[in-house]
Amino acid sequence: MQSNNGFYGQFGGSYIPEILFASQQQILRAFEEAKQDPSFLAELNQQWQEFSGRPTPLTFCANLTEYFGGARIYLKREDLNHSGAHKMNNVIGQGLLVKRMGKKRVIAETGAGQHGIATALVAARLGLECTIYMGAKDIERQYPNVFWMKQLGAEVVPVTTGAQTLRDALDEALRDWSSSHEESHYLIGTSCGCAPFPEMVAFFQSVIGNEVREQSVAQFGKFPDRLYACVGGGSNACGLFLPFVNDKEVAMVGVEAGGKGLALGEHSIRLSHNLGAPGIAQGFATMFLQDDHGQLQETHSIAAGLDYVGVSPIIAHLAETKRIEMTYAMDQDVVNACTLLLKKEGIIPALESSHALAGAFKDAAKLGKDQHIVINLSGRGDKDIFNVAKAVEDDTFPAFLQSYLASYPIREQGE
Amino acid sequence: MSSLAQFTQQKLQHKSILAMTHVVYGYPTVDESLAWMTRLLEEGVDFIEVQFPFSDPVADGPSIVAACHQALGQELNVDTCLTQLGALAKNFPESRIVLMSYLNPMYRFGLKKLAKRAAEENICGLILPDLPIEAAQEYRQACHDKGIDPIWLVTPATPKERLAMLAKQAEGFLYCVARSGVTGQSCHQNKTPNTELDSYLAEIKQHTNTPLGVGFGLRNKGQIDALLGKAEIAILGSALLDAYNQGGQDAGIKLIKSLFD
Repeated sequence: MQSNNGFYGQFGGSYIPEILFASQQQILRAFEEAKQDPSFLAELNQQWQEFSGRPTPLTFCANLTEYFGGARIYLKREDLNHSGAHKMNNVIGQGLLVKRMGKKRVIAETGAGQHGIATALVAARLGLECTIYMGAKDIERQYPNVFWMKQLGAEVVPVTTGAQTLRDALDEALRDWSSSHEESHYLIGTSCGCAPFPEMVAFFQSVIGNEVREQSVAQFGKFPDRLYACVGGGSNACGLFLPFVNDKEVAMVGVEAGGKGLALGEHSIRLSHNLGAPGIAQGFATMFLQDDHGQLQETHSIAAGLDYVGVSPIIAHLAETKRIEMTYAMDQDVVNACTLLLKKEGIIPALESSHALAGAFKDAAKLGKDQHIVINLSGRGDKDIFNVAKAVEDDTFPAFLQSYLASYPIREQGE
Repeated sequence: MSSLAQFTQQKLQHKSILAMTHVVYGYPTVDESLAWMTRLLEEGVDFIEVQFPFSDPVADGPSIVAACHQALGQELNVDTCLTQLGALAKNFPESRIVLMSYLNPMYRFGLKKLAKRAAEENICGLILPDLPIEAAQEYRQACHDKGIDPIWLVTPATPKERLAMLAKQAEGFLYCVARSGVTGQSCHQNKTPNTELDSYLAEIKQHTNTPLGVGFGLRNKGQIDALLGKAEIAILGSALLDAYNQGGQDAGIKLIKSLFD
């Protein structure tokens, strides 16, 4: 979906400190050239196939379809990408762009850690230096990802300001970029930020929806009736939805994080129920969770990757123009959806993707048996093992952790 | 010439360079920050740049970020802030107060209303570092209608053509960022080689007669002396905040005197 000078309706734009102007213009030019360059697109496709394992399958869920007794349920398996999430699509694209611009270092921010892992993987493959900013609280929640980032050679910087989550990591990454823009590229992981990032990330992620177009026709002879995706920053939703945006017969549903409740600070709902308000921050205009004085607010989600105060300007625009329906799923519904998929289909979903599952499961039984729905399974759930174990109150897991820790050779400090 | 630029020219008849001191409104409390501004004005600083805190100050370094976050522990109100600054501006006509913030709190307050209220309270300049001039048509018009100077920033990374454009559009003074990066001592290593400050300022001077204010990273007398004859205003932000944090108002005043006397 092309922007109007970086804008999608009233959202988007480029509101950055002057220090970043030249760098932003460089990215704008590089992206405009690259997306029309057949050699760049060929290399992108090759990396997607050989490194990430595309195309990812469209999996029919016979057991869930029978269980709900309504629509036929399909999953787009972005969890099967190398790194276990859709993040890889964008990171490969921007990584190749970094090489094209002649820069040698990438900076990234990460919430759940999936974008951090994907960035560290691609940086290693393309020979780039890599610094990842991550909220200290997210580091606690997602340490296995941090471990792998470090093993891949990335520097992981804990961010201890503010709520110590994704938004604070994003601010810190922007500050680093301000200091190092001549040699560094800020590899934004979602379709947010100043132009052209929303359009560029959506362009790289659109491989998801483009594949679904072909696969759905091949597997059930038409486009899906309804699409479901979770919406944090909005990159997997942009990727699934945008290739269908002009196909009016295809309904699209974005599912935000309802968290623990609808009080400010307990959720990450920007678009449903008028809980967000238009604002301009972090380089772009969108719907932000903010107070009456324009201060951005703290957010919560059981899924660190959805715990973000803003949202893609593309998704905000599609929601405002009613092209997509927005809903939300509460933490507990998300855990229930996750365990249902585990037990019925033998697939381990990420907690982020489980929001999309929860949204779809609410509708599935009410839809006709001739309806086909596609849920974007944006990532796999290995990283969430600790949080899911806690949420399902598994009694044996703490005992395992204690016994594992007892056998772990902990060195004294300074040794 | 705007009243802010005229003020600068008049002051420069008696001084070699003017001092602009930065204060975070509401840090550590509203009353304390107002008391600190009063002290600075009593000591005769030429300008105070008052930062209205925002939760996500992306052009600032650790000292100012921490102060803004602490200040936001109280509920701060733009309108009340303007009223309080107005009282100071009235009591100290020999100095000038400019308001700095990020776009979102001001956008929420209303940019037209901001210009109107600033004019009512004798706040003569506004600095919004994340508002690019290209996206500022309505804001600029509102400022012009009320006789307020919107202050624009240039940096060593600003391309030459854009530098000329911004210098030509400058009103009040042009805020020249001295180096790449965020304010103060950044935790990010500044690996970018700095454009030579002298030639950078000389280049800007070719395009404008508007006074130049230089900020970001100023900490010692040598840096201030190096600006004499090349810029009109030296902007002291994080260094002043650090001194204040270490030794209170007296330490801050001592630093100013050591740099500007």
